[in-house]
Amino acid sequence: MRLRHRRQHSEEMDGEAIDLAPMLDFVLNLLIFFIITAVFVKEIGLALNTPPPAPPNQKQQEDDHGTLFIAVHKNGDVSIDQRLVDPEAVRANVERFRGEKPEGPVIVVANIKAPTGLVVKVMDQARLGGALNVLLQPTASKK
Amino acid sequence: MQARRHASADDHHGIDLAPMLDFVLNLLIFFIIITSFVKQAGVKVDKEQALTAESRASGNILIAVRPNGEVWMDRKKVSLPEVRALVERMHAERPEDTVVILADKMSETGVMAQVMNQVHAGGIQSVSVATRGQGG
Repeated sequence: MRLRHRRQHSEEMDGEAIDLAPMLDFVLNLLIFFIITAVFVKEIGLALNTPPPAPPNQKQQEDDHGTLFIAVHKNGDVSIDQRLVDPEAVRANVERFRGEKPEGPVIVVANIKAPTGLVVKVMDQARLGGALNVLLQPTASKK
Repeated sequence: MQARRHASADDHHGIDLAPMLDFVLNLLIFFIIITSFVKQAGVKVDKEQALTAESRASGNILIAVRPNGEVWMDRKKVSLPEVRALVERMHAERPEDTVVILADKMSETGVMAQVMNQVHAGGIQSVSVATRGQGG
């Protein structure tokens, strides 16, 4: 009965489609599986850039005049120009520096033992202070 | 009235499922592609909050750094040289991918810096460190 029915259809060639319902069931199952396993990750973050490779000493000293170095020590201290500052005060320091030298780069010199959270906080503060490009330079120094 | 007559005329055919099937197949393809894009790190980390954080258009290789110095990538714990090899391979597969380092706020900066160097060596220059936004 069924077969004859089908054959009749193919002979007629009248555009009558095959039964798509089983395929649709299967595809819907697949779809549900992939919806469940899909993870939409929207990570936000700060760009990590390192300063260009160290130039010869002489040039380094010339550059130093227009660069603000913020040191993050391994015990959690933050200092600018050998002066201890509160992490929250980095913003004000960067703002003042930007007032003097708007184009000067800001480099966060972070001890490799310093906690990442503090380094991120300092970089965030520097960006709040208006520094467009905050560079991160890891250092293995003792402090 | 008309609908009932229609139903009685070809009740064993049912409605035409082809357009629905087209739509569902499109959805299916979309979700298959989405699942293969993002390389999850596989561990949960506690991120530092940052007010100036910005979202990257395609930050989809995630590398996690745990407080104990472990590095996780693609749901596996990896060593630093492996980071470079994995990044090289992923970069070859999809050159527009960028890397987001999920560094725990209690982890050491040195590990993050080493991971960053490995990623640069692997060919991806655009690296960022993940943070929490203002709300979360």
